[in-house]
Amino acid sequence: MKTRSTIRPTILILALMALATTQAAAQDVARVEVSPATLSLAVGEMATVSATAYDASGNVIEVPFIYFSRDGRGSLAIDRTTGEIEAFRGGEFEVLARVLGPTRISGTMTVTVAFPPLDRVEISRHGGRYYTGVTMRHKATVIDQADDARDEVAVTWSTSDENVASVDRFGVFTAHAPGQVTLSASAEGVVGEITYQVADNPVTAMAVEASQSRGRTGDVIHFTATASSAGGTVDDIPVTFGLMSDPDVIATADIPPAEVDEQGRFVAYRPGIYTVTASVPGRTAHSTVEILPRHVVEEVELVGHAPVSNVATSDLWVWEGVDGRDYAITGTHNGHGSTYWWDVTDPASPVLTDSLIVDARTTNDVKVSEDGELCVISREGASNRRNGIVIIDCTDPRNIEIISTYDDELTGGVHNLFIHDDHVYAVNNGIRFDVINIEDPANPHRVGRFELDTPGHAIHDIWIVDGIAYTSNWNDGVAVIDVGGGDRGGSPANPVEIARFRDIGGATHAAFPYRSPTGRFYIFMGDEIGAPAFDGQEDGRTPEFMSGYIHVVDFTDPENPEEVARYEIPEAGSHNMWIEDDRLYAAFYQGGLRVLDISGELKGNLYHQGREIAVYKSYDPDGFVANAPFTWGPQMHKGNLFFSEYFSGMWTVKLQPRRTLIP
Amino acid sequence: MRAPLALLAALACTATGGEAAAQSYWAYVAAESEDEVALLRYDAGGDLVVEKTITTGWLAAEIEAPHGLAIDPAGDYWYLTLGHGFPTGRLVKYETGSDTIVGVADLGMFPATIAVPPHGTLALAVNANFHGDHVPSTVTIVDLETMFPIADVVTCTMPHGSRFNADGSKHYSACMMDNQLVEIDGATLDVTRRLDLIANEPAPAPMDGHMAMPAPGGANCSPTWTTPHPDGNRVFVPCNRGDAILEVDLASWRVTRRIEAPGAPYNLDLTPDGTKLLATLKGSAKLGIWDVETGEPLHLIDSLIPVTHGVVVTPDGRYAIVTVEGIGGDPGTVEVIDIEAGARVASAQIGKQAGGIVLWKMEG
Repeated sequence: MKTRSTIRPTILILALMALATTQAAAQDVARVEVSPATLSLAVGEMATVSATAYDASGNVIEVPFIYFSRDGRGSLAIDRTTGEIEAFRGGEFEVLARVLGPTRISGTMTVTVAFPPLDRVEISRHGGRYYTGVTMRHKATVIDQADDARDEVAVTWSTSDENVASVDRFGVFTAHAPGQVTLSASAEGVVGEITYQVADNPVTAMAVEASQSRGRTGDVIHFTATASSAGGTVDDIPVTFGLMSDPDVIATADIPPAEVDEQGRFVAYRPGIYTVTASVPGRTAHSTVEILPRHVVEEVELVGHAPVSNVATSDLWVWEGVDGRDYAITGTHNGHGSTYWWDVTDPASPVLTDSLIVDARTTNDVKVSEDGELCVISREGASNRRNGIVIIDCTDPRNIEIISTYDDELTGGVHNLFIHDDHVYAVNNGIRFDVINIEDPANPHRVGRFELDTPGHAIHDIWIVDGIAYTSNWNDGVAVIDVGGGDRGGSPANPVEIARFRDIGGATHAAFPYRSPTGRFYIFMGDEIGAPAFDGQEDGRTPEFMSGYIHVVDFTDPENPEEVARYEIPEAGSHNMWIEDDRLYAAFYQGGLRVLDISGELKGNLYHQGREIAVYKSYDPDGFVANAPFTWGPQMHKGNLFFSEYFSGMWTVKLQPRRTLIP
Repeated sequence: MRAPLALLAALACTATGGEAAAQSYWAYVAAESEDEVALLRYDAGGDLVVEKTITTGWLAAEIEAPHGLAIDPAGDYWYLTLGHGFPTGRLVKYETGSDTIVGVADLGMFPATIAVPPHGTLALAVNANFHGDHVPSTVTIVDLETMFPIADVVTCTMPHGSRFNADGSKHYSACMMDNQLVEIDGATLDVTRRLDLIANEPAPAPMDGHMAMPAPGGANCSPTWTTPHPDGNRVFVPCNRGDAILEVDLASWRVTRRIEAPGAPYNLDLTPDGTKLLATLKGSAKLGIWDVETGEPLHLIDSLIPVTHGVVVTPDGRYAIVTVEGIGGDPGTVEVIDIEAGARVASAQIGKQAGGIVLWKMEG
């Protein structure tokens, strides 16, 4: 073995002196100038800027710099040590030269990159027939020769003949007389044009018909307008829908009592009398509907409570065991890797039958195979950083036994999973799901995986119905994936994406598909949006800061999904959910357990439509945090509604008809 | 008045003789499975006290894994990596004392340790991507004034152990899956050289997009840390899977010594005078202390519970402060070791999975 020479104090002192010299020089920097102070470049051009540091007396100091631009990211390429700049996109950007020294002083200069010449202006409509008196807004998109949209470029609107049609500065176009007219949108000399053939408005009669004359709050009523002329129906004249509201109760600062959209879809938030108008120039028809209260409120009866007070509770699953009795499994969060099995045959008296501790800190998700024989739990926080899943024989929930564990390339932590047709779909490391074949549960093996292709993609949850997987992907929304039940040739070994939808907001945490008796296919997409911490940081305080809501997306046409409604309660954010028989059972953290009537077509904010059937908040003085509802996830089973509470275990309630008149 | 740690270290290691005065040592420790950072104070000869617990993370209902810690050389700020994001992690800048958030920067996949050079202008965070495909990852360079991620420098697969040398002229990190030591120039911030710790020869960059290959013959090191020696001539690198600590000579860019360290060495630190090398032995729940000159072990100190993680030596060289993760629901533990005596003198419990640690200040 070689031996080291003795540490020589002189070497150490020299090193410290060198350090001190460098630091001292940088410490003296009083200002930095970057030359040139301004620079103009064309896309593709390069130039070099240089920085000079001065002390308080104006003397130049030799110090290293690092060059970068915050607002130029993606538009400028900057050599961080030489200051060489290459321009990729137009705009004005600030370049910083930071002294690598303790003063943290920087100098700045401005790079102006000329935008490429404009290529074209595209108008949102295509032209064609137009009728006198009709007004429609048009939008223009300016695109440059780099094929980038240029929102900052001003557009000027004009028509070729003001006597035929005129347009205002917002692109609102109105026809006045028959004739041909060109609508132009110009930007920096580049012009986009469409041509209309304006004809006299032929409409001599107008009618509008409601799909029902009486409804309840939350019912979507379709108003169909018909414009007619002497020659028959005029289909190509735009109809404008309007609304006259007369709600039964008027309150200040209230929400709008009803709404109607451009397709004539109407929904009311308040009982009352509503008149919808359908108009074309010179002709208006109206139809009035009566809206009644929804009257869906039911009472909630507490049935049972399976307390877990030493650790936070996460997901649950309730199933009928192979012996015909009913069981539940609950995971734990941020604790000691425990999972609990319960006999809930008598939900009023849940009995703990068995438990398991694995090397983990969170067993967030717990699922049971369709035949009730296998339980699979996810692991996070293993001490050796090898997480994965644990496959358990739960044929006898009084004597559960680990069959196998699987962590190959699942080490990053499995947060959620689903079991479908002898396969475990495990969300892996927050970026993809892996498909694990468990036909032989003692020998699980990966057969497939799926990962989105977007930059920075992430995944949080997966739910599978009839061979179609629905993944929740935060900013990427929901992805619908054929894993054997679709028509895209997908299989567990070869998941094939069918569709994807990014909802408003982009914080998709959980998704639940539901085929409504109306024939519509909805996907309920729940946000998870939080704040940095619980309310205060003291023990025993109620957490109050989860937000976000459930987005309702009409996926009936998977090629054209539409976000049509939302369930947004003001005081809390959404978490897991369950849908059965036209009822949404939703956990809303500090907002408790919510039961929502989702019958019929859905539109608008369901919270304001009298659709809430029940709200239940569970308070446990002996909870992990006392008296702190923080509802995690619900599941309906044989008429009983089970749900996990983060701070107090598993609860069971039952919905009952009202005994009193609840508004 | 606080004294910057670098200056304190310099003074401490050039001092000769005499008993150090009674001191108070302040350290921040991250509890990775609790989303908390604890601020602890140890008064020499007294108890280790948790002065404050700072909750971190964006979502109360998710664990975001606070992992790496660094301190501003002037002591005004502390920096924390959060390993889990959507999906990438973040660097959070806190003001010391008030422990309020000053800024946030986006990093890569599971950022782990961070290093701040003596000038305090930048942070280099290794994006360990502990659980991703074994493909080369990056070191993110963050301007700490603006909290802007200036660049991502591709280094290797599962980089870890981000550390600068004493004058900030070189940065070192290790590649757990490529068995490499990577050097980054402190001024240009480019990779200047790599050393294959198995073959003991300069190495090329791992091929982008290709899985890391196992070392030939089954030899493995899985280096998890880097600690430059204050003499500026060498870097120590623990082989977590090789039960050894390697000494790399910077002039020849070769491994010149192998110090046996059974028990899966994980994090390292040196006494400021460079005479003693300390390593957490993750697999055997110990702290090891070696004589740098001879390579002989001086002490092996059992931790109270398993999975020792981080270690820092106080600027006066008297104490080592060690973090211990625990398993499952075990509380994280922080232990103070008297280096000369090789004995634990104080401990305290904090949130689960105590890991990253940084000294803030020494008072008294």
